[in-house]
Amino acid sequence: MNILIAAFGFGLVSASVIALAAVGFTMQFGITNMINLAYGEVMIASAYVAYYIDERGVSIWIAMLVGAVFGAVFSFLINRLIYSPFQRKGTSQLGMVIVSLAVSLMIANIMLPIVSYFPVSYRERFSNLLRFGDIALTVNQIAIIALAIAIMAVIHALLRYTRLGKAMRATAANPSLARNCGIPTQRVIDAVWTITGALCGLAGVVAALDSDSFTISSGAGFLITALAAAVLGGAGQPYGAMIGAVVIGLITELSAAIWSPDYKQVVAFAILVLVMVLRPQGLLAKRGAAAAAG
Amino acid sequence: MLEATDVRRHFEGMHAVDGVSLEVPRGRITGLIGPNGAGKSTFMAVVAGTLPATAGRIVFDGQDVTRMPAYRRARMGLVRTFQLPSEFARLTVLENLLVAAPGHRGDSLVGALLGPRYWRADERRIVGEARGLLKRFGMSGKESDYAGNMSGGQKRLIEIMRALMLHPRCLLLDEPMSGVHPRVADEIRGYLQDLRREGLTILMVEHELHFVEQLCDSVFVMAQGKLIGSGTMASLRRQPEIVDAYLVG
Amino acid sequence: MNTYYAANLLIFAGVDVIACIALNLQFGVSGIVNFAFIVFQAAGAYAAAVLSMPPDTSPDYSFQIYVGGLNLPFPLPWIGGAVAGALLAVPVGLVVLRNLRSDYQAIALLVTSIIANTVINNARPWLNGAAGLALVPQPLQDQIDPSTDSYFYFYIGLTAICVALVWFIAARIVNSPFGRTLRAMRDQELVATALGKNPVALKMTMFVVGGAIAGLSGAILVGFLTVWAPSTWLYPETIILFAAVIVGGRGNNLGAVLGALLVPVGFEEVTRLLGRLDIGPPNFIPAMEWVLIGLCILGFLWFRPEGVRPEARRIVPEGFESGVRVVGDLD
Repeated sequence: MNILIAAFGFGLVSASVIALAAVGFTMQFGITNMINLAYGEVMIASAYVAYYIDERGVSIWIAMLVGAVFGAVFSFLINRLIYSPFQRKGTSQLGMVIVSLAVSLMIANIMLPIVSYFPVSYRERFSNLLRFGDIALTVNQIAIIALAIAIMAVIHALLRYTRLGKAMRATAANPSLARNCGIPTQRVIDAVWTITGALCGLAGVVAALDSDSFTISSGAGFLITALAAAVLGGAGQPYGAMIGAVVIGLITELSAAIWSPDYKQVVAFAILVLVMVLRPQGLLAKRGAAAAAG
Repeated sequence: MLEATDVRRHFEGMHAVDGVSLEVPRGRITGLIGPNGAGKSTFMAVVAGTLPATAGRIVFDGQDVTRMPAYRRARMGLVRTFQLPSEFARLTVLENLLVAAPGHRGDSLVGALLGPRYWRADERRIVGEARGLLKRFGMSGKESDYAGNMSGGQKRLIEIMRALMLHPRCLLLDEPMSGVHPRVADEIRGYLQDLRREGLTILMVEHELHFVEQLCDSVFVMAQGKLIGSGTMASLRRQPEIVDAYLVG
Repeated sequence: MNTYYAANLLIFAGVDVIACIALNLQFGVSGIVNFAFIVFQAAGAYAAAVLSMPPDTSPDYSFQIYVGGLNLPFPLPWIGGAVAGALLAVPVGLVVLRNLRSDYQAIALLVTSIIANTVINNARPWLNGAAGLALVPQPLQDQIDPSTDSYFYFYIGLTAICVALVWFIAARIVNSPFGRTLRAMRDQELVATALGKNPVALKMTMFVVGGAIAGLSGAILVGFLTVWAPSTWLYPETIILFAAVIVGGRGNNLGAVLGALLVPVGFEEVTRLLGRLDIGPPNFIPAMEWVLIGLCILGFLWFRPEGVRPEARRIVPEGFESGVRVVGDLD
């Protein structure tokens, strides 16, 4: 029983990390209709940028901020220079998936000669352990949970109460109608990529902080976990992604406790495939994931 | 020939089709009209099977096809065309027609592997049939052009010819005149009248009311997912609610 | 140029051509975005390996743990490889190829590819985990000494026969009314449905056929390399093949061959040559190679999505319907 409760605690941390990534990913899809398979690579690139800063003695929290900014700028540029032009050209959804795959390949391999294969980790990855009954979490982990909750609140406020948020929701629901109503869709899209890019960068640093170490190849794992949570919650639904993150975070940690930690990622992947096949519209269905939806 | 009973189609909280019941008599052209967003195309899609019905029944030639997937309805003779251009752009005009032909020996994996000698006779037969259709509809010269390069009117003709290759017993036409040059539309009208004379049953969604008047023996009117009237065009014009809802002239 | 180098080049080229033809049948002709393609090749390789290897309890193989070990003679392991690819396609196809929008399908397959690799990597008792299988027997190695040049010629000949066989099958499919139906379904699936075509059945068929051919390519490869490990079949390998099909030209076999020669083979050769130059930090050349592949994909998708050799337009001769002899081949 203790193990399960402890696993629950870890599950919360996992959920926080995943939520940061998944919400950004799902908003990219929901508002720009882009399944950004390069998301994981941007996460890991931001993690490395934060690493280089951290190495030079800067506090990890400042490095996290820098990572977020990097993620924002990088994502904005990727969309402006590559995704947007291809989309305007009329490339099919499938073509865009291939485009984003190509971009992810390129990012990973441009980074490779610079950072090489060796795993690296942040200076602050060890911190004091605090106990709450059977749950034992480090200060870092608690900070991550707090950070995730704060960011989710900010996103919620953004979407619900600001003009930009409303414009985003309108564009997500019906882009051409939104444009006809005078919403500057180009600027909204730029804002979306910048904001979700920041989330992406932040999530990358957080995910890296939460692991013992990270390398170039961690990117694919980050992507799939974010993808799993996003799809589970309903593609394009930020609140769904939050729920999906909690579900996946808890299930993977519980499976690690009961079964084996080696298969944590496999469990997340399996959930993704199961959801895609059994209930492609996810928990909070918005747009139909099934073909022939009218 | 075709009977729809209380057909409903709900999707994401919207009732696109909200309890429509109608009958399409054999060997006649029946029209389905209504303002934009009335749910006509959705209804057609449900009848054809490309969209599943949320509720209701569809009976075709005595058989309940409500649960049947679209491709099986097509093989039974219930064939639809599409409102938006739906030609196979990267196939030639002739290929567009050939691909529709049912019962081709070469149209299976085993048939393909057995080679041309096995299926050549069938191919000759349907090429003859297709070329005949192209000649009848005046598009013989275009047979080797990519269908994607054809004009709007020509694409409409391709769709109709393609549907005819299936030897349909009931044709569901979704706005056959839309986006088509008036002269070509007139030709299409002539073809449809010929087809009706040959015994084909047709259900047609159309906006151009003068075509509806010339072609359709009876007409159903839909608005906001529901059926609001039926009868001949003349009788419908005399009903003020219908005129208000929709008819302009 | 020594025989080993030539054999290496030709056999890899042959395997790549076979794989590209299979992928083209699935993606180029039928519109199935099989991002898990490499798993089928791997299935064929593993199947051929465990069918031809002796049981793992014997002293020689005590470092490897694996299932099977039936010690079957050639050509059974190769047939087994093709069958394995086909069999794997059935459950994967049934689960994924349903009414899912095509980009979801693609991602589900991509993720399946990653899961498969991770699971095999970790599950040691099945296929020897991360270390993979080694000492795989080579076809007819008891009859012809594998270290001689004659063996290389023999293997090249075997590969060539397989290429010819696969080309023949693919040509028959593509140039038939069945191929026409597949292309129509690829272009407008919904419309094809309205014309009486059953898309799920068609896609399953091509998934299985492509899977079988992919499995055969894996068997050929493992018979030559005598080793096979999870690191050989990571998901980017599928992307190379996709790049090949896009660059060479979708929907036609000649394009698939061209793509295979230009992309996987071309890049292999360029790496070899540039590898001698020793530029930059380690891993620089292979990494740049991948960047180039990515740029290639983007470039072709932008400027020439139809590829180097686009799909040919099919013209039916005059009087065909009245029985005039048709001369010449299409494609």
